[in-house]
Amino acid sequence: MADPIKIRATLKGSTGEVRLLIPHPMESGLRHDPAGQTIPAHYITSMTLSLNGRSILEAGFGTAVSANPLFTFQLQDVKAGDKVGVAWLDNRGQRGSTETVFDTN
Amino acid sequence: MRRRSFLQAFGSAAALAPLVGTGLLKPGMALGTESGRDAFEARTALDALRLLGAGAAEQNAALIIRAPEIAENGAAVPIEGISAIPGTTQLTVLVDKNPFPLVLQFSFGPEVLPRFQTRIKMAESSRLRLVAMAGGRFYTVFRDVKVTIGGCGE
Repeated sequence: MADPIKIRATLKGSTGEVRLLIPHPMESGLRHDPAGQTIPAHYITSMTLSLNGRSILEAGFGTAVSANPLFTFQLQDVKAGDKVGVAWLDNRGQRGSTETVFDTN
Repeated sequence: MRRRSFLQAFGSAAALAPLVGTGLLKPGMALGTESGRDAFEARTALDALRLLGAGAAEQNAALIIRAPEIAENGAAVPIEGISAIPGTTQLTVLVDKNPFPLVLQFSFGPEVLPRFQTRIKMAESSRLRLVAMAGGRFYTVFRDVKVTIGGCGE
């Protein structure tokens, strides 16, 4: 199984910063292994960010998001204790999700 | 096919119904698995923009795309996109010379500022485009990035 998603949610006043690192090969389907065989495409096609269980951002991805995708987003009007979650789905139907709580630090 | 695997992954269409109700997810556009996916298959940036309805995007200085002038490693080029255009609900990134130019698209709810940082692959030196949708209109900004070692094929 894949490594867990790393998610960090920090508050500066009422602005929240969410940083995500999703371990995933993001294989484009355009590369070849040393034997010359095409490495099949395996990449995240969609991602949702949620705040207290409600979707607040939808993402669609092609094959050119780098391996182990890293994202930073800024949320308005959040407070300590608000729950932020992320869920992804890839082209093979695999998925992952995690959530954390906004903290002041 | 994609729709089927999506529905299997999430259990059933009913599981998505609450998201559709928020207005963030439009029926048929859920998580970019439907019509939106066509643009990801486009082979030119102009085709992708046309499929997104953004063929007539105007240049706008309130859009900023930050990226290194010279990227050593095309497999992970750090970029930042920021829109100061009021009412921005969507940001899209394209790399003209990638085999599939459409890289990503974010649709923002009102809780999220229309800005992001991430890392993308660039096959070779290319124009990078950021496209914003605000109030149903499209705006764009360009930046040229030189890539030392490409990051898509081989």
